[in-house]
Amino acid sequence: MYFDRMADAAAASAVSGPPAARAVSYLHEISPEMRGCAIFGPSGQLLAATGDETASARWAEPGQDFLAAADAAGGEPVAHAHVATADGEAFCVRHAELAAVAVTERFVLASLMIFDLRTVLRDLADGKAPESERRAGPDGAPAEGGEEFRAT
Amino acid sequence: MTPKPHRTLFDRVSGYADEAAAYLRRRRAIRQPFARVYYPGGRSADCGADADAGRELYRAAAALIEVAGPLQRAPRSQRNRR
Repeated sequence: MYFDRMADAAAASAVSGPPAARAVSYLHEISPEMRGCAIFGPSGQLLAATGDETASARWAEPGQDFLAAADAAGGEPVAHAHVATADGEAFCVRHAELAAVAVTERFVLASLMIFDLRTVLRDLADGKAPESERRAGPDGAPAEGGEEFRAT
Repeated sequence: MTPKPHRTLFDRVSGYADEAAAYLRRRRAIRQPFARVYYPGGRSADCGADADAGRELYRAAAALIEVAGPLQRAPRSQRNRR
């Protein structure tokens, strides 16, 4: 339904995947300048990330390192962090016991990116479906998500 | 030859728009890398690259950006053209 507006590659259905994977797909749908993202659970385990099964597993260690480095910068757990470099921008957001990291193109609207990440984490923590599924059309078919994903 | 009345106004608005665009281009060109962390309660702090913690944060961000790779765009035929 919405894939003609997406900047991502071929979409995969987000209906049957686990909630975190559907959340990653939804983030790709609403953030065309996002290169990838990952969602971590309460113990720091990778729940879902951009890409197929092999690609998504590569997010685990760098994502955890980024979260740990953000926490170590001030000596306490951060609510969110934003790092802008010449090669792109990295974000991390925490909500409840979940955490998300995302990488975007340069000069994105940081407040919007952080808002989207926090909204997705809040929906996940509350057990709600992503917004695209809640806005499913009359035939019940949800909006297709972004890049192919696999939850680990 | 006397210019048309609307032309003066158009030229002035175009001039403002050109200056604004140039300002934004300069601002983007000179923007330096930065790292900022935010804590519950609203407090925030900048992390400079001169400290160990800041360097580690930049290094971790660079590793994450490398994992993400370049932006994947849909083929031109699938993009919404407006």
